Amino acid sequence: MDLENVSSILIIGMAGNLAKITAKEIHGKNPNIKIIGVDSRKVPRSLSKLNVKFHQINYTRSHFERLFREHKFDVVLFLGRYAHVGLNILSMLTDSLDTKISGIKNIFDLCVKFKVKRIVVLSSFHVYGALPGNPLFLLEDTPLKADFKYPDIRDVVEMDKMARLWVDKHKAVETVILRPCSIVGPHIQNAITKYLTTPYAPIPMDFNPNFQFLHETDMADIILKAIDKLPPDTYNVAPDEYVTIRDAMKIVGNPTLPVPLFLIEPMAKILKKTLFKIPEYFISYLKFPCIIDNSNLHKALGDLNFRYNIKETLKYLK
Amino acid sequence: MIDLLDNLLSSKIDEEKLEKIYSHLTGLYTNGKDPWGLDIDTAKATISKLYPFYSEYFKVRLFGKDKALDRPYMVVSNHTGQVPIDAMLIGMAFALEIAPPRILRAMIDRFVTSLPFLGEWFAQTGAVLGDRQNCSKLMERGNSILVFPEGVQGVAKSTNEFYKLQKFTNGFYRLALSSGFDILPVAVIGCEECFPFVYHLKSLAKTLGLPAIPLSTNYFPLPSPVDIHIGDPISINKDLSPDATDKEINKEVLKVKSKIRSLITRGRKDQREFWAKKER
Repeated sequence: MDLENVSSILIIGMAGNLAKITAKEIHGKNPNIKIIGVDSRKVPRSLSKLNVKFHQINYTRSHFERLFREHKFDVVLFLGRYAHVGLNILSMLTDSLDTKISGIKNIFDLCVKFKVKRIVVLSSFHVYGALPGNPLFLLEDTPLKADFKYPDIRDVVEMDKMARLWVDKHKAVETVILRPCSIVGPHIQNAITKYLTTPYAPIPMDFNPNFQFLHETDMADIILKAIDKLPPDTYNVAPDEYVTIRDAMKIVGNPTLPVPLFLIEPMAKILKKTLFKIPEYFISYLKFPCIIDNSNLHKALGDLNFRYNIKETLKYLK
Repeated sequence: MIDLLDNLLSSKIDEEKLEKIYSHLTGLYTNGKDPWGLDIDTAKATISKLYPFYSEYFKVRLFGKDKALDRPYMVVSNHTGQVPIDAMLIGMAFALEIAPPRILRAMIDRFVTSLPFLGEWFAQTGAVLGDRQNCSKLMERGNSILVFPEGVQGVAKSTNEFYKLQKFTNGFYRLALSSGFDILPVAVIGCEECFPFVYHLKSLAKTLGLPAIPLSTNYFPLPSPVDIHIGDPISINKDLSPDATDKEINKEVLKVKSKIRSLITRGRKDQREFWAKKER
């Protein structure tokens, strides 16, 4: 559907920086679109400049339904990805699963009920898992195995699986599922960006997998294309380029601390108290490559024309 | 023995030739790298370091180098020795002695990719996790593939089974059908003698989740002279689809196996004595 014909958009996960960048891009393309942002987290600053009306609510609450009733959304962007915070894995997982699984079911039901035309779900390449038996260029129909070993990533895998099941059941609502590679950028606060930008971050000296990186602005651009250009389907989102994790660190330009992989986890536990927390699942991505195939996206969009190449993406991080 | 050590220490690769080979290979891959972890610079440094072993220790002789034309192949070989050094020697032969030079992409077990340092080194020198999707993507990009259809059975053989071909799996033939690549049969003679077999710890391997644990008297290879024989390329049966039945595919696989067997028989006749000196 053309952005010109969209009158209102709901962005779920508005507290995230990717959501803010996306809102800015939408506003830039069509300032007449009414953007409603929701998140269970605190009210983010500077949303008024983006013409976003923000509500801090729990996705499962009934007043969430009121928003659908009042605003008659044409498009729903589900950008509320998982966040690795907190020390108690079990409670974090329970909370996260409750938010994502119950939440997404509720959202999908509301989309059908209030005749939303299109839903865009932001998943992640993490759902495939970094496993020793992974071939390169994982296709969209590759089994999602990330949660086999790491329960802390189960929320996003379940969310993705649920979205795909839902797509098959409710074809009237056009649904696009995006599985991007590592999104990095000066505003994104995810694990990989924090890892790349931390001086003396421990990097494995015995493994050096390739990574695909996408700039936050290019990802926001793909989300916009998911509204008006991509046919309903699941898409891996990645550039054609790749770089090893050691080379990526070199491009960013921070000093690193090469250590055997088995030491990274204990070191990360020490680092989390002073700098940041490396999620448990993340270590496996430093061992085995998880390169996704972007041919479905190429097929739909032709040339991807990303604004930043992989070197620029990493260079501007610091 | 002293002669061998002396030759080993004094042997050096022709740097000019190596440079020429690798400038050609670098041109085939963007920045000399590929998504599977290949790194032409590391591959070059590795070959340069291992060359004395190739040339003086194993005294490798390559027969039939003119059979490999300037096109990608599915290279199919017998698998020998308790530690698969045959893959390394075939790879070096195709990089150093065949025109135009090429990096053969050997398929390796996931156990190897999980090994610290070694997994990365194997990837940098061109080895790839043995997977049908990997193989077909590499072939799409015009890479020649090296496969050992005997799998682990080929390297964990007892002494009385040396040079006896084990059961061939048929996946390689289906891949050759999808890509349209000809099959280049190869026989390696001499690697079985590098590792005298003692016992195969099958149950321990199963318990540890390893592909095989063959016990040998030594794990550094003995200096057995190695011959690599390349046979005539075998055209794939174009009447078959990659989804043909096992029965149809196995018929073609047997033809490949029989070709390799005859290369082995011929090679064994010409095999050198264990302590043979290098022909100069």
